Amino acid sequence: MATNIQDRKRINGPTRSVEPISTAEPVEPFASGRLDGRALDQVRPIFMKTGSLDSQASAQAAPSGSAYYEQGKIRISCAVYGPRQGRKSNAKMGIFSCDFKYTPFSCSWRKSHIKSSDEKEISLILEQAVAPAIRLELYPKACVDAFITVIESDGKAATIAAAINCISAALVDAGIELYDSVAATSMALNGTQWISDCTQIEEDSTSCSLLVARMPSADEVAYILQHGKTKIEQTEEGFQACVNACTKVYAVMCRYLQGSM
Amino acid sequence: MSTAGQTVVVTPGRRLGLAQEYESGIGTYVRNGMIYSSILGTRKIKEPTGDSTNDKETSTNKPVLYVERDNAKFAIPVVGCEVLGRVVRINPRAASVAIMMVGPVPCQEDFLGMVRVQDIRATEKDTVVMVESFKPGDIIRAEVISLGDQRSYFLSTTKNEHGVVFAQSSDGNTMVPVSWEEMQDPETLAIEKRKCAKTF
Repeated sequence: MATNIQDRKRINGPTRSVEPISTAEPVEPFASGRLDGRALDQVRPIFMKTGSLDSQASAQAAPSGSAYYEQGKIRISCAVYGPRQGRKSNAKMGIFSCDFKYTPFSCSWRKSHIKSSDEKEISLILEQAVAPAIRLELYPKACVDAFITVIESDGKAATIAAAINCISAALVDAGIELYDSVAATSMALNGTQWISDCTQIEEDSTSCSLLVARMPSADEVAYILQHGKTKIEQTEEGFQACVNACTKVYAVMCRYLQGSM
Repeated sequence: MSTAGQTVVVTPGRRLGLAQEYESGIGTYVRNGMIYSSILGTRKIKEPTGDSTNDKETSTNKPVLYVERDNAKFAIPVVGCEVLGRVVRINPRAASVAIMMVGPVPCQEDFLGMVRVQDIRATEKDTVVMVESFKPGDIIRAEVISLGDQRSYFLSTTKNEHGVVFAQSSDGNTMVPVSWEEMQDPETLAIEKRKCAKTF
Protein backbone atom coordinates (compact mmCIF):
# COMPACT_ATOMS: atom_id res chain seq x y z
CA MET A 1 0.00 0.00 0.00
CA ALA A 2 1.57 3.24 -1.10
CA THR A 3 1.92 5.73 1.75
CA ASN A 4 1.73 8.81 -0.44
CA ILE A 5 -1.92 8.20 -1.49
CA GLN A 6 -4.01 10.50 0.70
CA ASP A 7 -7.60 9.89 1.76
CA ARG A 8 -9.23 13.17 0.89
CA LYS A 9 -12.60 12.37 2.42
CA ARG A 10 -11.34 12.21 6.00
CA ILE A 11 -9.15 14.32 8.22
CA ASN A 12 -5.85 12.49 8.25
CA GLY A 13 -3.33 12.18 11.00
CA PRO A 14 0.39 12.59 10.42
CA THR A 15 1.82 10.12 7.90
CA ARG A 16 4.99 9.64 9.88
CA SER A 17 4.85 8.26 13.43
CA VAL A 18 7.47 9.17 16.04
CA GLU A 19 8.09 7.77 19.52
CA PRO A 20 6.97 10.17 22.30
CA ILE A 21 9.79 11.76 24.23
CA SER A 22 9.48 11.04 27.95
CA THR A 23 10.53 14.01 30.04
CA ALA A 24 10.07 12.34 33.44
CA GLU A 25 13.11 10.85 35.07
CA PRO A 26 12.76 7.11 35.60
CA VAL A 27 11.81 6.77 39.29
CA GLU A 28 13.36 3.93 41.27
CA PRO A 29 12.22 4.53 44.83
CA PHE A 30 13.08 1.19 46.35
CA ALA A 31 16.49 0.42 44.97
CA SER A 32 18.23 3.26 46.80
CA GLY A 33 15.73 3.92 49.61
CA ARG A 34 12.38 5.73 49.42
CA LEU A 35 11.96 9.12 47.82
CA ASP A 36 11.37 10.91 51.09
CA GLY A 37 14.05 8.97 52.92
CA ARG A 38 11.72 6.88 55.11
CA ALA A 39 12.41 3.34 56.22
CA LEU A 40 10.29 0.56 54.71
CA ASP A 41 8.14 0.26 57.81
CA GLN A 42 7.95 3.95 58.66
CA VAL A 43 4.66 5.81 58.51
CA ARG A 44 4.51 9.44 57.38
CA PRO A 45 4.50 12.08 60.16
CA ILE A 46 1.01 12.68 61.53
CA PHE A 47 -0.59 15.94 62.66
CA MET A 48 -4.03 16.04 64.20
CA LYS A 49 -6.32 18.71 65.57
CA THR A 50 -9.80 18.18 67.01
CA GLY A 51 -12.53 20.75 67.40
CA SER A 52 -11.51 22.57 64.21
CA LEU A 53 -15.14 23.10 63.08
CA ASP A 54 -16.55 24.16 66.43
CA SER A 55 -17.36 27.76 65.60
CA GLN A 56 -20.00 28.17 62.95
CA ALA A 57 -22.40 30.90 61.91
CA SER A 58 -25.27 29.29 63.81
CA ALA A 59 -25.01 26.99 66.79
CA GLN A 60 -27.32 24.53 65.06
CA ALA A 61 -24.94 24.04 62.16
CA ALA A 62 -21.93 23.25 64.33
CA PRO A 63 -21.08 19.54 64.37
CA SER A 64 -20.86 17.59 67.64
CA GLY A 65 -17.23 16.81 66.93
CA SER A 66 -14.67 17.46 64.25
CA ALA A 67 -11.08 16.63 63.42
CA TYR A 68 -8.43 17.72 60.95
CA TYR A 69 -5.82 15.12 60.11
CA GLU A 70 -2.57 15.34 58.15
CA GLN A 71 -0.28 12.47 57.25
CA GLY A 72 2.53 13.58 54.98
CA LYS A 73 0.74 15.33 52.14
CA ILE A 74 -2.65 13.76 52.91
CA ARG A 75 -5.07 16.26 54.42
CA ILE A 76 -8.51 15.20 55.62
CA SER A 77 -11.25 16.95 57.56
CA CYS A 78 -14.10 15.15 59.28
CA ALA A 79 -17.28 16.42 60.94
CA VAL A 80 -19.46 14.20 63.13
CA TYR A 81 -23.12 15.03 63.74
CA GLY A 82 -25.01 13.18 66.38
CA PRO A 83 -26.51 11.48 68.09
CA ARG A 84 -29.54 12.84 66.35
CA GLN A 85 -32.86 11.57 65.03
CA GLY A 86 -32.29 8.85 62.49
CA ARG A 87 -33.99 8.61 59.15
CA LYS A 88 -34.28 4.84 59.29
CA SER A 89 -34.55 4.31 62.99
CA ASN A 90 -33.64 1.02 64.58
CA ALA A 91 -35.23 0.41 67.95
CA LYS A 92 -32.30 -1.54 69.34
CA MET A 93 -29.14 0.14 68.08
CA GLY A 94 -28.09 3.42 66.61
CA ILE A 95 -27.05 3.72 62.98
CA PHE A 96 -23.65 4.98 61.92
CA SER A 97 -23.24 6.38 58.43
CA CYS A 98 -20.27 7.89 56.62
CA ASP A 99 -20.18 10.31 53.73
CA PHE A 100 -16.82 10.37 51.97
CA LYS A 101 -15.98 12.95 49.32
CA TYR A 102 -12.84 13.96 47.49
CA THR A 103 -12.65 17.68 46.86
CA PRO A 104 -12.18 18.31 43.13
CA PHE A 105 -8.61 19.52 43.67
CA SER A 106 -7.46 16.72 45.98
CA CYS A 107 -6.07 14.21 43.48
CA SER A 108 -3.77 14.58 40.51
CA TRP A 109 -6.79 14.29 38.19
CA ARG A 110 -9.69 16.62 38.90
CA LYS A 111 -12.64 14.90 40.54
CA SER A 112 -16.24 15.64 39.69
CA HIS A 113 -18.38 17.42 42.26
CA ILE A 114 -20.94 14.64 41.93
CA LYS A 115 -20.16 11.69 44.13
CA SER A 116 -18.74 8.84 42.07
CA SER A 117 -19.19 5.12 42.70
CA ASP A 118 -15.63 5.00 44.04
CA GLU A 119 -16.49 7.50 46.77
CA LYS A 120 -19.68 5.60 47.61
CA GLU A 121 -17.66 2.41 47.96
CA ILE A 122 -15.14 4.11 50.22
CA SER A 123 -18.03 5.48 52.32
CA LEU A 124 -19.20 1.91 52.91
CA ILE A 125 -15.65 0.79 53.71
CA LEU A 126 -15.33 3.53 56.33
CA GLU A 127 -18.71 2.64 57.84
CA GLN A 128 -17.75 -1.00 58.18
CA ALA A 129 -14.33 -0.17 59.58
CA VAL A 130 -15.44 2.28 62.27
CA ALA A 131 -18.92 1.03 63.27
CA PRO A 132 -17.59 -1.90 65.39
CA ALA A 133 -15.85 0.60 67.68
CA ILE A 134 -18.96 2.63 68.50
CA ARG A 135 -21.26 1.62 71.35
CA LEU A 136 -24.34 1.90 69.17
CA GLU A 137 -26.53 0.08 71.67
CA LEU A 138 -26.44 3.22 73.80
CA TYR A 139 -28.07 5.27 71.06
CA PRO A 140 -31.24 3.42 70.02
CA LYS A 141 -33.32 5.14 67.34
CA ALA A 142 -30.61 7.74 66.86
CA CYS A 143 -28.01 8.06 64.15
CA VAL A 144 -24.44 9.25 64.09
CA ASP A 145 -23.30 10.81 60.80
CA ALA A 146 -19.68 11.38 59.81
CA PHE A 147 -18.81 13.59 56.84
CA ILE A 148 -15.29 13.21 55.50
CA THR A 149 -13.75 15.67 53.07
CA VAL A 150 -10.37 14.87 51.54
CA ILE A 151 -8.58 18.13 50.98
CA GLU A 152 -5.49 16.51 49.54
CA SER A 153 -4.92 12.86 48.73
CA ASP A 154 -1.63 10.99 48.29
CA GLY A 155 -1.99 7.26 47.73
CA LYS A 156 -5.48 5.72 47.70
CA ALA A 157 -5.00 3.08 50.40
CA ALA A 158 -3.13 5.56 52.58
CA THR A 159 -5.93 8.11 52.18
CA ILE A 160 -8.56 5.59 53.28
CA ALA A 161 -6.41 4.69 56.30
CA ALA A 162 -6.02 8.37 57.14
CA ALA A 163 -9.80 8.86 56.79
CA ILE A 164 -10.40 6.08 59.33
CA ASN A 165 -8.03 7.74 61.80
CA CYS A 166 -9.67 11.10 61.22
CA ILE A 167 -13.18 9.71 61.87
CA SER A 168 -11.97 8.10 65.11
CA ALA A 169 -10.59 11.40 66.31
CA ALA A 170 -13.77 13.27 65.38
CA LEU A 171 -15.94 10.69 67.17
CA VAL A 172 -13.82 11.05 70.30
CA ASP A 173 -14.16 14.83 70.06
CA ALA A 174 -17.96 14.46 69.70
CA GLY A 175 -18.13 12.56 72.97
CA ILE A 176 -19.69 9.52 71.31
CA GLU A 177 -19.01 6.46 73.45
CA LEU A 178 -16.52 4.13 71.81
CA TYR A 179 -15.04 0.79 72.77
CA ASP A 180 -11.72 2.05 71.42
CA SER A 181 -10.32 4.40 68.80
CA VAL A 182 -9.69 2.77 65.45
CA ALA A 183 -6.16 3.15 64.06
CA ALA A 184 -5.51 2.18 60.46
CA THR A 185 -2.44 1.90 58.25
CA SER A 186 -1.81 0.68 54.74
CA MET A 187 0.98 -1.26 53.07
CA ALA A 188 1.79 -1.99 49.46
CA LEU A 189 3.66 -4.89 47.95
CA ASN A 190 6.51 -4.17 45.56
CA GLY A 191 7.86 -7.47 44.30
CA THR A 192 8.35 -9.28 47.58
CA GLN A 193 8.76 -6.29 49.85
CA TRP A 194 5.97 -4.69 51.89
CA ILE A 195 6.31 -0.92 51.91
CA SER A 196 4.40 0.94 54.59
CA ASP A 197 2.19 4.00 53.92
CA CYS A 198 2.87 4.53 50.23
CA THR A 199 2.53 7.85 48.47
CA GLN A 200 0.80 7.97 45.09
CA ILE A 201 4.08 7.68 43.18
CA GLU A 202 5.13 4.65 45.22
CA GLU A 203 1.68 3.07 44.98
CA ASP A 204 1.67 3.34 41.19
CA SER A 205 4.62 0.96 40.95
CA THR A 206 3.25 -1.65 43.38
CA SER A 207 1.12 -4.66 42.58
CA CYS A 208 -0.99 -5.01 45.71
CA SER A 209 -2.14 -2.85 48.61
CA LEU A 210 -3.31 -3.90 52.05
CA LEU A 211 -5.24 -1.79 54.56
CA VAL A 212 -5.73 -2.88 58.16
CA ALA A 213 -7.90 -1.06 60.71
CA ARG A 214 -7.33 -2.13 64.28
CA MET A 215 -8.59 -1.49 67.82
CA PRO A 216 -5.42 -2.01 69.87
CA SER A 217 -7.02 -1.98 73.31
CA ALA A 218 -9.03 -5.11 72.59
CA ASP A 219 -6.40 -6.37 70.15
CA GLU A 220 -9.13 -6.72 67.56
CA VAL A 221 -9.03 -6.08 63.85
CA ALA A 222 -11.92 -3.96 62.64
CA TYR A 223 -11.31 -4.13 58.88
CA ILE A 224 -8.91 -5.60 56.32
CA LEU A 225 -8.94 -4.51 52.69
CA GLN A 226 -6.66 -5.96 50.05
CA HIS A 227 -6.40 -4.88 46.43
CA GLY A 228 -4.39 -7.15 44.19
CA LYS A 229 -3.01 -10.67 44.19
CA THR A 230 -0.61 -12.12 46.73
CA LYS A 231 0.35 -15.48 48.12
CA ILE A 232 -1.12 -16.34 51.52
CA GLU A 233 2.26 -16.05 53.26
CA GLN A 234 2.80 -12.62 51.77
CA THR A 235 -0.59 -11.44 53.05
CA GLU A 236 0.20 -12.78 56.51
CA GLU A 237 3.55 -11.01 56.49
CA GLY A 238 1.97 -7.76 55.32
CA PHE A 239 -0.81 -8.08 57.88
CA GLN A 240 1.66 -8.48 60.73
CA ALA A 241 3.64 -5.46 59.58
CA CYS A 242 0.40 -3.44 59.38
CA VAL A 243 -0.59 -4.46 62.90
CA ASN A 244 2.73 -3.17 64.26
CA ALA A 245 2.35 0.09 62.38
CA CYS A 246 -1.24 0.48 63.65
CA THR A 247 -0.03 0.34 67.23
CA LYS A 248 2.34 3.25 66.58
CA VAL A 249 -0.38 5.29 64.86
CA TYR A 250 -2.73 4.61 67.80
CA ALA A 251 -0.11 5.89 70.25
CA VAL A 252 0.25 9.11 68.26
CA MET A 253 -3.54 9.57 68.09
CA CYS A 254 -3.96 9.05 71.83
CA ARG A 255 -1.23 11.56 72.59
CA TYR A 256 -2.92 14.20 70.45
CA LEU A 257 -6.33 13.48 71.99
CA GLN A 258 -4.99 13.70 75.53
CA GLY A 259 -3.25 16.94 74.69
CA SER A 260 -6.44 18.43 73.30
CA MET A 261 -8.22 18.34 76.67
CA MET B 1 -2.92 4.12 90.30
CA SER B 2 -3.25 7.90 90.37
CA THR B 3 -2.63 9.69 93.64
CA ALA B 4 -5.32 11.91 95.10
CA GLY B 5 -5.41 15.29 93.32
CA GLN B 6 -3.65 14.10 90.17
CA THR B 7 -5.97 14.08 87.18
CA VAL B 8 -5.41 11.47 84.52
CA VAL B 9 -6.76 12.20 81.06
CA VAL B 10 -7.94 9.00 79.43
CA THR B 11 -8.86 8.16 75.86
CA PRO B 12 -11.42 5.53 74.78
CA GLY B 13 -10.16 2.02 75.31
CA ARG B 14 -7.84 2.89 78.20
CA ARG B 15 -7.83 0.50 81.13
CA LEU B 16 -9.07 2.18 84.31
CA GLY B 17 -9.30 -0.51 86.93
CA LEU B 18 -10.54 -3.95 87.91
CA ALA B 19 -14.26 -4.69 87.93
CA GLN B 20 -13.74 -6.40 91.29
CA GLU B 21 -12.57 -3.23 93.00
CA TYR B 22 -14.82 -0.64 91.35
CA GLU B 23 -18.29 -0.18 89.91
CA SER B 24 -18.33 1.08 86.35
CA GLY B 25 -19.89 4.55 86.13
CA ILE B 26 -20.65 6.82 83.19
CA GLY B 27 -18.22 6.85 80.33
CA THR B 28 -16.92 3.36 81.06
CA TYR B 29 -17.61 -0.23 80.10
CA VAL B 30 -16.56 -3.62 81.46
CA ARG B 31 -14.81 -6.31 79.46
CA ASN B 32 -13.13 -9.45 80.79
CA GLY B 33 -13.21 -8.21 84.36
CA MET B 34 -11.55 -4.88 83.56
CA ILE B 35 -13.14 -1.45 83.40
CA TYR B 36 -12.25 0.53 80.27
CA SER B 37 -12.99 4.12 79.43
CA SER B 38 -15.31 4.83 76.52
CA ILE B 39 -14.92 8.60 76.16
CA LEU B 40 -12.16 11.21 76.34
CA GLY B 41 -12.09 12.74 79.81
CA THR B 42 -10.57 12.63 83.27
CA ARG B 43 -10.63 9.50 85.37
CA LYS B 44 -12.51 10.07 88.60
CA ILE B 45 -13.52 7.96 91.53
CA LYS B 46 -16.60 8.53 93.63
CA GLU B 47 -16.34 6.99 97.06
CA PRO B 48 -19.45 5.15 98.25
CA THR B 49 -21.56 7.14 100.69
CA GLY B 50 -22.02 5.57 104.10
CA ASP B 51 -25.81 5.88 104.20
CA SER B 52 -27.10 4.67 100.88
CA THR B 53 -30.78 3.94 101.08
CA ASN B 54 -31.97 3.69 97.52
CA ASP B 55 -28.85 3.77 95.39
CA LYS B 56 -28.37 0.35 93.82
CA GLU B 57 -24.80 1.05 92.74
CA THR B 58 -23.33 1.85 96.11
CA SER B 59 -25.23 -0.88 97.90
CA THR B 60 -22.33 -3.16 97.13
CA ASN B 61 -20.05 -0.56 98.79
CA LYS B 62 -17.62 -0.37 95.91
CA PRO B 63 -16.37 3.05 94.79
CA VAL B 64 -17.67 4.14 91.41
CA LEU B 65 -15.09 4.64 88.67
CA TYR B 66 -16.23 7.06 86.01
CA VAL B 67 -14.87 9.35 83.32
CA GLU B 68 -15.83 12.99 83.42
CA ARG B 69 -15.94 15.30 80.46
CA ASP B 70 -16.06 19.05 80.89
CA ASN B 71 -18.02 20.19 77.87
CA ALA B 72 -21.59 18.96 77.91
CA LYS B 73 -22.25 16.81 74.90
CA PHE B 74 -25.58 16.11 73.37
CA ALA B 75 -28.15 13.72 74.76
CA ILE B 76 -30.74 11.43 73.24
CA PRO B 77 -34.11 10.65 74.83
CA VAL B 78 -34.12 7.52 76.94
CA VAL B 79 -37.20 5.73 78.29
CA GLY B 80 -38.08 7.18 81.68
CA CYS B 81 -36.24 10.48 81.34
CA GLU B 82 -37.80 13.92 81.60
CA VAL B 83 -37.73 16.02 78.44
CA LEU B 84 -38.52 19.60 77.56
CA GLY B 85 -40.13 20.18 74.21
CA ARG B 86 -42.13 22.53 72.06
CA VAL B 87 -45.54 21.60 70.69
CA VAL B 88 -45.34 21.74 66.93
CA ARG B 89 -48.68 20.40 65.70
CA ILE B 90 -51.85 19.19 67.27
CA ASN B 91 -54.64 17.01 66.00
CA PRO B 92 -57.51 15.49 68.00
CA ARG B 93 -55.58 12.28 68.56
CA ALA B 94 -52.04 13.41 69.31
CA ALA B 95 -49.71 16.35 69.71
CA SER B 96 -46.34 16.45 67.91
CA VAL B 97 -43.55 17.72 70.12
CA ALA B 98 -40.03 18.79 69.11
CA ILE B 99 -37.85 17.51 71.97
CA MET B 100 -35.23 20.14 72.71
CA MET B 101 -33.68 19.02 75.98
CA VAL B 102 -33.27 15.76 77.83
CA GLY B 103 -32.94 16.57 81.51
CA PRO B 104 -30.34 19.35 81.73
CA VAL B 105 -28.56 18.44 78.48
CA PRO B 106 -29.65 19.85 75.12
CA CYS B 107 -30.13 17.77 72.00
CA GLN B 108 -28.07 18.58 68.96
CA GLU B 109 -31.11 18.47 66.72
CA ASP B 110 -34.71 18.37 67.85
CA PHE B 111 -36.00 14.85 68.22
CA LEU B 112 -39.58 14.19 67.31
CA GLY B 113 -41.97 13.06 70.02
CA MET B 114 -45.68 12.56 70.26
CA VAL B 115 -48.12 12.91 73.15
CA ARG B 116 -51.17 10.79 72.46
CA VAL B 117 -54.46 12.11 73.76
CA GLN B 118 -54.77 9.28 76.29
CA ASP B 119 -51.36 10.13 77.77
CA ILE B 120 -52.10 13.76 78.57
CA ARG B 121 -53.95 13.28 81.83
CA ALA B 122 -53.99 10.58 84.46
CA THR B 123 -57.72 10.70 85.11
CA GLU B 124 -60.74 10.80 82.75
CA LYS B 125 -58.59 9.89 79.78
CA ASP B 126 -61.51 9.43 77.40
CA THR B 127 -62.90 12.95 77.88
CA VAL B 128 -59.67 14.83 77.16
CA VAL B 129 -59.94 17.50 74.45
CA MET B 130 -56.67 18.35 72.72
CA VAL B 131 -57.31 22.07 72.16
CA GLU B 132 -57.99 22.44 75.88
CA SER B 133 -54.65 20.81 76.79
CA PHE B 134 -51.97 22.03 74.38
CA LYS B 135 -51.65 24.57 71.64
CA PRO B 136 -48.85 24.85 69.05
CA GLY B 137 -45.95 26.88 70.44
CA ASP B 138 -46.37 25.76 74.05
CA ILE B 139 -43.30 24.54 75.90
CA ILE B 140 -44.08 21.35 77.76
CA ARG B 141 -42.26 19.09 80.19
CA ALA B 142 -42.99 15.41 79.60
CA GLU B 143 -41.65 11.96 80.27
CA VAL B 144 -40.56 9.48 77.63
CA ILE B 145 -42.70 6.37 78.00
CA SER B 146 -41.45 4.39 75.02
CA LEU B 147 -39.23 4.53 71.98
CA GLY B 148 -42.37 4.73 69.89
CA ASP B 149 -42.68 4.07 66.22
CA GLN B 150 -40.25 4.81 63.43
CA ARG B 151 -40.72 8.53 63.46
CA SER B 152 -41.38 9.68 66.99
CA TYR B 153 -40.88 8.88 70.64
CA PHE B 154 -43.98 8.53 72.80
CA LEU B 155 -44.28 11.03 75.64
CA SER B 156 -46.70 11.42 78.48
CA THR B 157 -47.72 14.34 80.68
CA THR B 158 -49.84 12.40 83.16
CA LYS B 159 -47.77 13.33 86.19
CA ASN B 160 -48.56 16.48 88.09
CA GLU B 161 -45.19 18.08 87.44
CA HIS B 162 -45.51 17.48 83.70
CA GLY B 163 -47.49 19.61 81.27
CA VAL B 164 -47.32 23.12 79.92
CA VAL B 165 -44.58 25.21 81.58
CA PHE B 166 -44.70 28.19 79.26
CA ALA B 167 -47.41 29.40 76.90
CA GLN B 168 -48.42 32.59 75.19
CA SER B 169 -52.00 33.77 74.97
CA SER B 170 -53.65 34.62 71.68
CA ASP B 171 -52.76 38.28 72.38
CA GLY B 172 -49.08 37.36 72.60
CA ASN B 173 -48.55 37.75 76.36
CA THR B 174 -46.92 35.16 78.56
CA MET B 175 -49.61 33.43 80.59
CA VAL B 176 -49.49 32.47 84.25
CA PRO B 177 -50.96 29.17 85.48
CA VAL B 178 -53.89 29.59 87.86
CA SER B 179 -54.84 25.93 88.28
CA TRP B 180 -53.89 22.59 86.79
CA GLU B 181 -56.14 23.21 83.80
CA GLU B 182 -56.20 26.97 83.35
CA MET B 183 -53.73 29.72 82.48
CA GLN B 184 -54.40 33.44 82.63
CA ASP B 185 -53.08 36.33 80.58
CA PRO B 186 -51.95 38.91 83.19
CA GLU B 187 -52.83 41.91 80.96
CA THR B 188 -56.17 41.05 79.40
CA LEU B 189 -57.13 38.69 82.28
CA ALA B 190 -58.44 36.19 79.72
CA ILE B 191 -58.36 32.57 80.79
CA GLU B 192 -57.20 29.84 78.43
CA LYS B 193 -57.36 26.13 79.10
CA ARG B 194 -54.13 24.15 79.19
CA LYS B 195 -52.87 21.09 81.06
CA CYS B 196 -50.42 22.95 83.31
CA ALA B 197 -47.35 21.59 85.04
CA LYS B 198 -47.26 21.98 88.79
CA THR B 199 -43.92 23.74 89.06
CA PHE B 200 -44.26 25.01 92.58
